[in-house]
Amino acid sequence: MPLNRDALWYKDAVIYQIHVRTFHDSNGDGIGDFEGLETKLDYLQELGINAIWLMPFFPSPLRDDGYDIADYNSVHPSYGTLEDFRKFLESAHERGIRVIIEFVANHTSDQHPWFKESRSSPDNPRRDWYVWSDTDTRYKGTRIIFLDTEKSNWAWDPISKAFYWHRFFSHQPDLNYDNPAVREEMWNVMKFWLEMGVDAFRLDAIPYLVEREGTNCENLPETHAVLKEFRRKLDENFPGRMLLAEANQWPADLRPYFGDGDEFHMAFHFPLMPRMFMGLKLEDRKPITEILQQTPEIPSSCQWSLFLRNHDELTLEMVTDMERDYMYDSYAESKTMRINLGIRRRLAPLLNNDRRRIELMNGMLMSLPGTPIIYYGDEIGMGDNINLGDRNGVRTPMQWTGETNAGFSTAPPERLYAPLIQDPVYGYPAVNVLRQRASEHSLLNWMQLIITVRRSTAVFGRGSIEFLYPANHRILAYVRRLGNETVLVVNNLSSTAQAVELDLRRYKGNIPIEMSGRNMFPRVGDVPYLLTMGPYQFFWFRLRRI
Amino acid sequence: MAEESFLTDDFLRQLINVGEVDILVGLPTHNNSKTVGAIVQTIQSGILRGFPRERAVIINVDGGSRDGTPELVTGVSIDDMRPTSNRFALRTMHSISTKYGTSPASGVAFRTILAAAELLRAKACVMLSPDSGNIEPDWLSKLLSPIYRNEFDLVTPTYRRHKFEGILITNLLYPMTRALYGLRIREAYSPEFGFSPRLGCQFLEHYVWNDGTDGAGVELRFTTAAITGKYRVCQSYLGEKVPIERRAADLVGALRQTVGALFSGLETDFPIWSIVDGSKPVPTTGPDHEVLMDPLRVNRKRLHEMFATGVAELESIFQSILSPETLAELQRIAGLQEEEFNYSAELWVRTVYEFAASYKNSAINRDHIIQALAPLFRGRVLTVLRENRNASEEAIEQSIEDLCLEFERLKPYLLQQWKTRE
Repeated sequence: MPLNRDALWYKDAVIYQIHVRTFHDSNGDGIGDFEGLETKLDYLQELGINAIWLMPFFPSPLRDDGYDIADYNSVHPSYGTLEDFRKFLESAHERGIRVIIEFVANHTSDQHPWFKESRSSPDNPRRDWYVWSDTDTRYKGTRIIFLDTEKSNWAWDPISKAFYWHRFFSHQPDLNYDNPAVREEMWNVMKFWLEMGVDAFRLDAIPYLVEREGTNCENLPETHAVLKEFRRKLDENFPGRMLLAEANQWPADLRPYFGDGDEFHMAFHFPLMPRMFMGLKLEDRKPITEILQQTPEIPSSCQWSLFLRNHDELTLEMVTDMERDYMYDSYAESKTMRINLGIRRRLAPLLNNDRRRIELMNGMLMSLPGTPIIYYGDEIGMGDNINLGDRNGVRTPMQWTGETNAGFSTAPPERLYAPLIQDPVYGYPAVNVLRQRASEHSLLNWMQLIITVRRSTAVFGRGSIEFLYPANHRILAYVRRLGNETVLVVNNLSSTAQAVELDLRRYKGNIPIEMSGRNMFPRVGDVPYLLTMGPYQFFWFRLRRI
Repeated sequence: MAEESFLTDDFLRQLINVGEVDILVGLPTHNNSKTVGAIVQTIQSGILRGFPRERAVIINVDGGSRDGTPELVTGVSIDDMRPTSNRFALRTMHSISTKYGTSPASGVAFRTILAAAELLRAKACVMLSPDSGNIEPDWLSKLLSPIYRNEFDLVTPTYRRHKFEGILITNLLYPMTRALYGLRIREAYSPEFGFSPRLGCQFLEHYVWNDGTDGAGVELRFTTAAITGKYRVCQSYLGEKVPIERRAADLVGALRQTVGALFSGLETDFPIWSIVDGSKPVPTTGPDHEVLMDPLRVNRKRLHEMFATGVAELESIFQSILSPETLAELQRIAGLQEEEFNYSAELWVRTVYEFAASYKNSAINRDHIIQALAPLFRGRVLTVLRENRNASEEAIEQSIEDLCLEFERLKPYLLQQWKTRE
């Protein structure tokens, strides 16, 4: 299946997020690799996704899960070789699957050769590739992000007897984007992967590229200028490729990163995700509709990226204190489930393994405006292990079968990079791909169906949205429109059956056709359209005027 | 044939849309447009402070307002349709409204709210009055928390009142309900109170709603129903109570709603109150009373005249209601000069008890009995004013306590009168 040549392909994408390490081990060393991942591409094609987002796979001391890169142009030996990656990429493309990789632009590892050279002497040509200072008093107005571990954004380097700037861990020195050579070299990194055929980059920690005295050193115009320069070069040399921004900000603050359609193509909508969970728990659409009302318009070529869970904690930075308390009490009653300002749990355990709620949340993910991202394993309802430190509890090996090591690896179990989930409910004997493939009504097969339906029309990825506000606030209803195509989405956020009357007068005469079963419902007339909905039920109706 | 539902289809549709709730606030109105908007916002504020995570609804039952009161209530819903909605509210807070008739009837309004509470499976309910000029957000917590969090069934308020305000309560309603039903509830008749769904459902099911009175005084019957049903009752101090408009006193109307309701319940409740001996305090949060001592101008001469005239003009009616001894004593004090006038506690209690007994089984129209009590009550008010003109807060409270004990001491007299007139 050839790749779709549409430049706006990312609008129609369903993205699947993977860490190579977690997916499949081909050489029996207990760590997933590109050869293993390549063997599972058929599974992903069958699932229906058409883009993969790979977490960092570059050489790294792995002190920050690969976000501390020591070589941008290679592959970590645990995951294979550059050739392995190239083969994987070609295989993915053959299946019509695009590949998005990480571009950690703000900083490197302190083990990167650039930094080793930079710290070696003030006269070294790469000295100005990082931000050095004789004092630790510059940029005083800048917040410290990792408050738990860092006391300052400056770290003393005993080798070169100076301070260097770092917004994250002290072993991650920030690159100096005021230096044209840095900008040029980072473009060369992008070019390296783009020439190989990579389709898109997820840019990590983008608000922090440039520092200026007297500011908070975030979201500065100079940072936007750097990003626009990257985008210009990308468009000129590699049309049809995509940039995805990671910036945990309010939608209005994120808006400038879309520019006039000349900066990022896509950005994560961070505040929506916790509000979907909140709306479900409250059985009230208010948190969801309110945040989407506050979401600004973006250029027509741009797109929001939506997700339910990812490799990090379910972040609660973009909520009020009261909302955060509510989320903690509702979804993380044990303090061990909490980390930073968030909840380190997977989708299925968060929703008490309630199939109806899992389906509803995925239904909303697939039908709200944006491109959905599925975190690996969530399509089969994998569990987590909160006894593992940091966020490793949601990064355990993929569960392929009920056999040894869940079919992930042939290594002795004690050599796996992380222990498998083994509890009776979520353990691999109970939750695995093989078993769910064999069961007609499994979550996996349902996910396959919903992705197929989502991809059967461009309206979900590209259409407008208009919220209906039925008096029953437990019902979240909206109309998606693109050209002549109209889809009505009705979600029951309640754990109980609900009746709802929808004002569909402007669609009078249309016949609603339920999209998964293709069954007709009564024609829309003058009176309010009455629907009765089971607990957590949702409908997608194509409105057809025949 | 089944009784036709008193809930309109439109109201039912609104209830369906609201769905199950945790907190229900009942707000009966009639032409309250000047104040109701602010009151609803105060209620919302109280819910957000005290019950931020709970599902809540404000239900307005309007007695035919012509000034747009219902629209004002529904216009301040906290929902997701208005960009100005309160972002600090976690969830939708509905304000819905329904109308009945063209004039206010507290029984109809209360019945509607009880029905809504049952249909919405509310976990705690509160009634508030748009006539209270100083509702504070914390009233919600004070009236609802004992229900929602401590499993009480009825929370009655206590207030800070002027020493000469609420004399009908301190000299009749409180001491008599206390003596009869055995619980020391200061405000057995109040437009503000919290209640549990189980008490509400029981009352909705068993109260005789179609008695031709439009449910006047139903709040007091609700309190006595809670006591006789052995529900858990407590009191909560709300602070000063300031009516929005000091209306010209309609004493007869007030007596009808309160004393009429109290008397009318005595017959059915006889098996219960007749065996109650003494009284017990109820759990109370905050003080069970507070007194404002500001000076107040009262026309004592006018009260004296109305008492004397009433005793003279209503003699024939009193002969059917009162015992000869009581009537003779009233006629004696009616002849006293204002300065010497004294309507003693004992005489007042005997009077009230004889009226109560008469109300049960009299040839006289019951409404006439209540009306006949009005001039006598004025006489009692005159005595209270005179006795407490310079009294301290403690002394005023002591005199109320003494009167309560007198009601309790003379309860056998009521029983005797009750049996005599059977």
